[in-house]
Amino acid sequence: MGDQEIHRVLMVSDFFYPNFGGVENHIYYLSQCLLKLGHKVVVMTHAYGNRSGVRYMTGGLKVYYVPWRPFFLQNTLPTFYGTLSIVRTILIRERISLVHGHQAFSTLCHEALMHARTMGYKVVFTDHSLYGFADVGSIHMNKVLQFTLADVSQAICVSHTSKENTVLRSGLPPEKVFVIPNAVDTAMFKPASERLNGNEIVIVVISRLVYRKGADLLVEVIPEVCRLYPNVRFIVGGDGPKRVRLEEMREKHSLQDRVEMLGAVPHARVRSVLISGHIFLNSSLTEAFCIAILEAASCGLLTVSTRVGGVPEVLPDDMIVLAEPDPSDMVQAIRKAISILPNIDPQVMHFRVSAFP
Amino acid sequence: MNFAIADNLQTSSGIVMDTSINEIPSISRPKWRKVAYGGMQPGFDDNNTHDSFLEDMVMNTNVVKRDMVKVMQDSVPISQYLCIVALVVLVWSYTLRTTLNENSLLIIDVGLLGSGFLVLLLTEEMLSLNLLHYFLNISFFTSGLYVLSPIYQTLTRSISSDSIWAVTVSLLVLHLFLHDYSGSTISAPGALKNPTLTSCISLNASVVASVFIASRLPSRVHIFAILLFSLQVFLFAPLVTYCIKKYSFRLHLWFSFGLMVVTLAFVCMLHKLIFVVLLGLLVFVTVVCPYWLIRIQEYKFEINGPWDEAKLVLI
Repeated sequence: MGDQEIHRVLMVSDFFYPNFGGVENHIYYLSQCLLKLGHKVVVMTHAYGNRSGVRYMTGGLKVYYVPWRPFFLQNTLPTFYGTLSIVRTILIRERISLVHGHQAFSTLCHEALMHARTMGYKVVFTDHSLYGFADVGSIHMNKVLQFTLADVSQAICVSHTSKENTVLRSGLPPEKVFVIPNAVDTAMFKPASERLNGNEIVIVVISRLVYRKGADLLVEVIPEVCRLYPNVRFIVGGDGPKRVRLEEMREKHSLQDRVEMLGAVPHARVRSVLISGHIFLNSSLTEAFCIAILEAASCGLLTVSTRVGGVPEVLPDDMIVLAEPDPSDMVQAIRKAISILPNIDPQVMHFRVSAFP
Repeated sequence: MNFAIADNLQTSSGIVMDTSINEIPSISRPKWRKVAYGGMQPGFDDNNTHDSFLEDMVMNTNVVKRDMVKVMQDSVPISQYLCIVALVVLVWSYTLRTTLNENSLLIIDVGLLGSGFLVLLLTEEMLSLNLLHYFLNISFFTSGLYVLSPIYQTLTRSISSDSIWAVTVSLLVLHLFLHDYSGSTISAPGALKNPTLTSCISLNASVVASVFIASRLPSRVHIFAILLFSLQVFLFAPLVTYCIKKYSFRLHLWFSFGLMVVTLAFVCMLHKLIFVVLLGLLVFVTVVCPYWLIRIQEYKFEINGPWDEAKLVLI
């Protein structure tokens, strides 16, 4: 690929900063990498509260906060032709050559891709999540996705399982779908400079405490592990509707000194929480690509995770212990992880993760 | 690690790798692995679709193959209940036209109560233990209705008859639509299923409809008789038919068939057009709908695979 053609890319999604999450991070870091390579990147998203208009972020990243009100879970109201004028204005003014849409759940993305194809621009779509086929919401969304992706130039998925899921949902030919996994900033996620003391084992959990991320599994697993291993401590970071259940569990089994609840952890402090542990526990029920376990591996933690979605593909077998999403199976996996923990060297693990190109 | 091996291969067979990327894989090219780490797998593009693509997909695991006769037999409770409701509406219209007077209504009531009890006794042994308990309950219920019937006499005096018919018909349609055809809302003691929200709504709709009709009648005894009749049927007919079905399927089929014939005969005597509509409805439910269901069943495409959200089976 020797051409030095400069592209002008428009990233479109409903999900961008100040909202925080995997998709937002992905768009931001991808834009920064493209800017470093010399291309020009513009991001289009909807207005967040008072933040509307045009802003410039690091590296000259131009962000259009289009003054549309979100109506459901950070999505703009889907009007089929309402966004046409603003999308056309942005495309012509910035002399865009390529439009990149993110996340199937984002209505703004679908509409912008449709308008861009109408005007003949090249279009790429990235799908970040797995969806089902059976419930009403999924059926509706898959139909919209088939419509949008009927004419897309290429599509990108974050794991092979996600590729199978997207191909089945949208009816795309598999050759059009590229599997490009998410990446982690290894310079930011370095392990601690000195090893932690060996007489106590600390298990870290950082996730949104919702049903989808398996908070109910945590409620069953933590008391059992604390009962079997007296020298194990838990650190639980994150907030959500299921936090109350975890607090109740803590009270019921009197684990106040063994389970520490940190509440919502800002992204800048995630590394300091991670390096205070030996094992990272991920109990989610569905994941297309779990970036959290990659961050944990980069910090030198051994990972224990549920075998769902794209998780088995993320790390080599010696860096992760997989379990079925069942409490007893997860306790067995934690037991195995504790037994192989002495063989793990965080610096070696970090080096291997940073060697993934 | 795979990455180290790939590095060595690339340096040693550089020219071979460059020209044979899209040809049959030579022995030097490592196998494609379904992993997301390690970057681009050498010799394979990012959009490479391996033969193992979609091999974990499972199709139509929970789909039941349906048989026409079985589906038709399963649709019998629906048509049976339709006939029961038609009979109730028949009795209502005869009473409103004063074709049936209150004494014959009372005789029908007592007859229904007795025969219902008999059926329950014959088909379910556990009820015979608490006979006194049930007798007490029935007498409380009946006397309560008798005491309250003067209230209903003036309940809808200020509302016009057209509104009453319209509301009654819509409530009955709602009742039929939301009814729980598989069991009974009022279950025998020891039944497994709890009543669902829609079955409670349908029961309430039918009770309100019978109260509206009862309030149109001239005297207290009329009101008492018609209310007792309607409530007996709507509250206990599902239980009785459920007991018959549980006891013997053949008896259930014969009972339904007889009920349908009797209903059609009575409706025919009342009004020809309604007879045609009822007949058409029964044929639709018993014959057309099962055939239609089986025809469109072959388009069912249920997809399961590793991308599904895990189902938690916690207490």
